[in-house]
Amino acid sequence: MTKAFSRWLPCATLFAWSFILLYFYFSGRIHALLHPIFRPFALVAGAIMLLLAACFLFIPATAECCTDEGCGHALGRGIGGRLLTFLILLLPMCAAAAFSPGGYGASTILNRGVINDASALGGAGAKRAAALASSAAAAASSAAAAANTSSVTEPALPTQDGSTPPPQQAQAQQPEPTDYLHKSKDGNIILQVIDLLYAAQDTSLRGDFENKRVEFIGQYMPDTVNNINGKRFKVVRMLMVCCAADARPVAAVVETEQPSNIPEMSWVKVVGDATFPIEGGRNLAVVKATSVTVTDPPEETMLY
Amino acid sequence: MNGAWFTFHFQDFSYSFLSILFEGIPFLLLGSLVSGAIDAFVPAEVFSRLLPKNKIAAIALSGMLGAIFPMCECGSVVVTRRFIRKGLPIASAVTYMLSAPIVNPVVALSTFAAFRGQSPWVMMSLRLMLGFLLAVTVGFIVQQAPMGAILQQSIVDSIPGVRRRTAFRMSAAPREEGGDLNIRLEGGGWRFKILAAVQSATSDFLDVAFFLVVGAAITSVFNTAVNQQVIQPLATNPLLATVAMMVLRFMLALCSTSDAFIAASFVSFPFVAKLAFLVFGAMFDIKLFFLYGIIFKRWFILALGIGLFVAVAVLCLRLTVLNL
Repeated sequence: MTKAFSRWLPCATLFAWSFILLYFYFSGRIHALLHPIFRPFALVAGAIMLLLAACFLFIPATAECCTDEGCGHALGRGIGGRLLTFLILLLPMCAAAAFSPGGYGASTILNRGVINDASALGGAGAKRAAALASSAAAAASSAAAAANTSSVTEPALPTQDGSTPPPQQAQAQQPEPTDYLHKSKDGNIILQVIDLLYAAQDTSLRGDFENKRVEFIGQYMPDTVNNINGKRFKVVRMLMVCCAADARPVAAVVETEQPSNIPEMSWVKVVGDATFPIEGGRNLAVVKATSVTVTDPPEETMLY
Repeated sequence: MNGAWFTFHFQDFSYSFLSILFEGIPFLLLGSLVSGAIDAFVPAEVFSRLLPKNKIAAIALSGMLGAIFPMCECGSVVVTRRFIRKGLPIASAVTYMLSAPIVNPVVALSTFAAFRGQSPWVMMSLRLMLGFLLAVTVGFIVQQAPMGAILQQSIVDSIPGVRRRTAFRMSAAPREEGGDLNIRLEGGGWRFKILAAVQSATSDFLDVAFFLVVGAAITSVFNTAVNQQVIQPLATNPLLATVAMMVLRFMLALCSTSDAFIAASFVSFPFVAKLAFLVFGAMFDIKLFFLYGIIFKRWFILALGIGLFVAVAVLCLRLTVLNL
């Protein structure tokens, strides 16, 4: 019996853990749990555990450590201890894998405190902000270069009556400052919730977004803080640093004339005009929505 | 604060629990594989020979080993246990165990990145310096204490020179040969050593994973069910803010490679409170409380926790005079 525990229970545990890690990796469920940097580690760990389990299974080894008096594995001694150890190793992980959803519910999000001020994010999400800022800078410099080129005046051809028309400038070719942003077929700027938060903080980004038609998705949550007239709700996304356990909710405020009967935490697509009114002494990202529709969750539910 | 301070939902709990395990398991496995390799391939006397004979220099050097041998806190516990069993002086092993999760390049970089715009050089330097200083101090204290009073008896028994037990056996080594794994490995071939390393790593992994599961479960309850805004009113008082941040870090049991990003998000809290969060948490949190149990006696773990808590709080509060 002891030998069976020594050999088969570690083997079963390793196989189960390996299966769960590999299943989550290959099914894509790992996207909701880990930052992309950490996902390959889970794959490698799953593969190594599979090898270790195979070693236990096929190579004769008795692993009698835990039958000795001086065993260092505290819960390994005795059949009861071993059984308890392996139940604790197996059951919680299997249960969590079976029942774990792809995201947090509203109460956990509220418990963590919804962030709508980018300065409260510290360095988290800075990569996205830096990318946005550098794209904006690159677009601004290319726009400036284009403007300089196009400002070279071409000599005008004389008209039939002999008068000289005003010089022609290639205004139509000058790019818009927001051309660096990805746009939908309808011409809406496609962005993420966190982009609005950074834009609220940054004067030049704010200029790029202000009163422009934007489109973004997130999870619907009623707004209980900045909602005096009852027309506002929040669109929330989770910002992850390493894993879901450290993810923090970030939200943009959406204002709509239409009464909303969308279930809490549903995924919604919002189309509307970005505004940044000063509320509470700072610019707050508020999108005046023209449409709010329930949509499917994105492939990557987390922001990084 | 909105709503109740405690609301438990099993699905949220399981989601957080699973993500902690998924993040921690690879590093725990890495630590176990290193531990298994050390067990099978490194002779017991190597560490004693490599360290300086001067005890002060040996402890100080151990405090910097994380810079060349980086390990997060989960992995460092397994490796430390193996170091001790291989004859590394306990003071040096403990110093390495406490410093490696802080004094390493990955943590330095992540701390710097997280605190961009919030004095990143100062935060990174202070975190590394305080982590090193405290780890070395604990090392000196441990050096004065008798081994048997600190370590689990099974660990004491497995240290070269005082070893009485047998390690696990494999069929490749007949039972009659007896003795410990090192003695048997001396005569074993590469195949035997590799098998021994694999089995040693597996035993270590499952042993420590038990405590990771328990720690992750407790952390996930706090992480999802407790309203974290309860500590917000404490932000204006440096003492209360520092203590609150350290308690929070203890309960959250974050990985030291990423905890700086969470600390940086507490913008209303004083700089020193965030520093205390980063220094204390990498050395002692609820997950480590259980993990340390595979090496140390319970009283020592409690004393270590209380001592570190007080020391970190006092040091960080003293730094408030710098107006950071």
